Amino acid sequence: MKKGYKKVERMTSAMRIIHWINFFSMIVAIATGLYIAAPYYQTLIAEPAVDKYVMAWNRWGHFMVAIIFDVTSIVVAYLYFFSRFEKPYKKVLPTAKNIKEFFAVLVNLITLNRSKKFDSSHSDSFNTVYFTIFHLLLLLMLFTGLQLYVEGLESGLSSIGTWWPSMLHIATDWTIPFSHFLVGSSVQDATIMDVRIVHHRFMWLIIVWVVFHIYYQVWRTIFWQEGDIAIAFGGSKYVKEDKKAEN
Amino acid sequence: MAGDKIESVKSLFTAKSAKVETNKGEEYYQNLYAQCRERLDNLKKIVPVSNNIKIKEAIEEEGVSRRDFLKWASATTAMLMLPASFTPLVAEAATLMNRVPVVWIELQDCAGNSEALLRSDGPTVDEIILDIISLEFHETLMAAAGHQAEKQLEDAIETFKGKYLLFVEGSVPMGINGQYGTLGAKGETFIDHLHRVAKDAAAIIAVGSCATFGGIPAAAPNPTDAKGVMDVVNGKTIVNIPACPANPSNMVGVILHYVLTGQLPELDSLLRPKFAFGYRIHDNCERRAHFDAGEYVEEWGDEGAKNNFCLYKMGCKGPMTFNNCSIVRYNEGVNWPVGVGRGCIGCSEPDFWDKYAYERPMANANIKAPTGGVEKSVDEFGLGLLTAAGIGIGIHAAASAIAGKKDNQGEA
Repeated sequence: MKKGYKKVERMTSAMRIIHWINFFSMIVAIATGLYIAAPYYQTLIAEPAVDKYVMAWNRWGHFMVAIIFDVTSIVVAYLYFFSRFEKPYKKVLPTAKNIKEFFAVLVNLITLNRSKKFDSSHSDSFNTVYFTIFHLLLLLMLFTGLQLYVEGLESGLSSIGTWWPSMLHIATDWTIPFSHFLVGSSVQDATIMDVRIVHHRFMWLIIVWVVFHIYYQVWRTIFWQEGDIAIAFGGSKYVKEDKKAEN
Repeated sequence: MAGDKIESVKSLFTAKSAKVETNKGEEYYQNLYAQCRERLDNLKKIVPVSNNIKIKEAIEEEGVSRRDFLKWASATTAMLMLPASFTPLVAEAATLMNRVPVVWIELQDCAGNSEALLRSDGPTVDEIILDIISLEFHETLMAAAGHQAEKQLEDAIETFKGKYLLFVEGSVPMGINGQYGTLGAKGETFIDHLHRVAKDAAAIIAVGSCATFGGIPAAAPNPTDAKGVMDVVNGKTIVNIPACPANPSNMVGVILHYVLTGQLPELDSLLRPKFAFGYRIHDNCERRAHFDAGEYVEEWGDEGAKNNFCLYKMGCKGPMTFNNCSIVRYNEGVNWPVGVGRGCIGCSEPDFWDKYAYERPMANANIKAPTGGVEKSVDEFGLGLLTAAGIGIGIHAAASAIAGKKDNQGEA
């Protein structure tokens, strides 16, 4: 450890595990999702249809990572309010302190680190708002995805019982009119295709989110010189001790 | 306005599922059987309203055997999701079809649903039955015109007040006070015409995609502000039988259900009978195995097309469309769109022309913007946004590199 620097823990091992599960799930979800939306490679093996099962495997992979995503989302939602480490919701409440910090971090970014009037040792309000946006986007993907899934279970049966499709209908049927509202049309009646369009478009928003997220974390690492990129791997970063004392 | 908002929020959270209950239990069907028996006995006492054609004779004249008729009866029983014990009742109900008066009106449409009933290589049992229903008024088929036709409609409404089934074909143009569509010697607008005839109907059956969801006239930019019947008429029982054209089997199914039980069949959230629209085309498609295998037709007439591969990449919307085409097919089971190798265009779903019928997968579609005119692909939109974000990041990164790091060089 460099002299004069202090180690601060920022992500617990549970948070890091969730982070990397989400990372891999997202890559698989996007790769398979794009195939499901419009199959972008052809099957070349000269075998009967029953042996290939390419679309089926893509759908299998897509649903599997989706369900993993769903479960981590529940865990994240729980930690958001009840984490014993750091409760993120406290950083998005529109209090004077949070609003001030949010803009201080934004100013830091657009002035290319000319101004840095906040404590960078803990998770700041700007980044927490940004993560919250991500989880809201993810939540919409979760609900629209489950609606598209239960659409195919029109018999009302599933391998784990009839309660599961029934529950999915109760939990996700609102996404049909909601998606219709988002997509818009001259026709009043909502259709399941609206949900599909929303599910597809919001994938792009999430990709855009990821691009900025990676860029911003790297930028912080380079400009702040506090080893921010290590948070996702080792769980901690380093801040100057004198700075820490200031705040 | 505030009330409208509350209503729209309510509707956001109360969408009903299309779940199909195929078995409602022994007791339910016993009660239903007794109820149907009573209803049919009562109907028998009624003298046929205006035509005396007997189904037995009609069928023989058209060269359909009694055996074919009974086969049709058992198939229809299954389609209506009733137990096999109901078959004799269904056959009996078919012979009593001329006891229910039907008024058929056409609005903004191409008469395709009427054509679907009338034109086929040979009359099917469904079509014969639609011939013998007591059709009191049908603009396209009737001989009368002008004031005579108006008179006939008025007579029908008066005579069968509250008893007739109203079939509506075509959308309702709401723009410029309905002046896009007028009819008759008095120049009545379609809106007024629909309201007048709907007022005394026992129930309204909207047939075809135009009458149900606005269909092609309502496609972007929807110049006439076309709407489906259910978005125009309030406080009436409405059944939607969408598809372009609606399948005659499903029309007969609904009438037969009404004759048999005195009630309309169970409906889903879009008011479509569940017996017909509770199934996804994809799940009963003969090409489903090719879908799962990833074997797709890439181009019309390629090797895949010759081998009956899946039409998903040619834009088939079977996976998103609820209808029984893949089960009952068209023209008494002769064929259907996927069977002839051209894919489904989702014609029985709302807004199908803009959101389903573009003949490529959704991700590659040029979905029209709601404002109309401008074509935008979802992927282009996403890629555009991504490019914008990339450019922004690039500028920021370049600026960062040029500006250099402000702080504390040489300290550490």
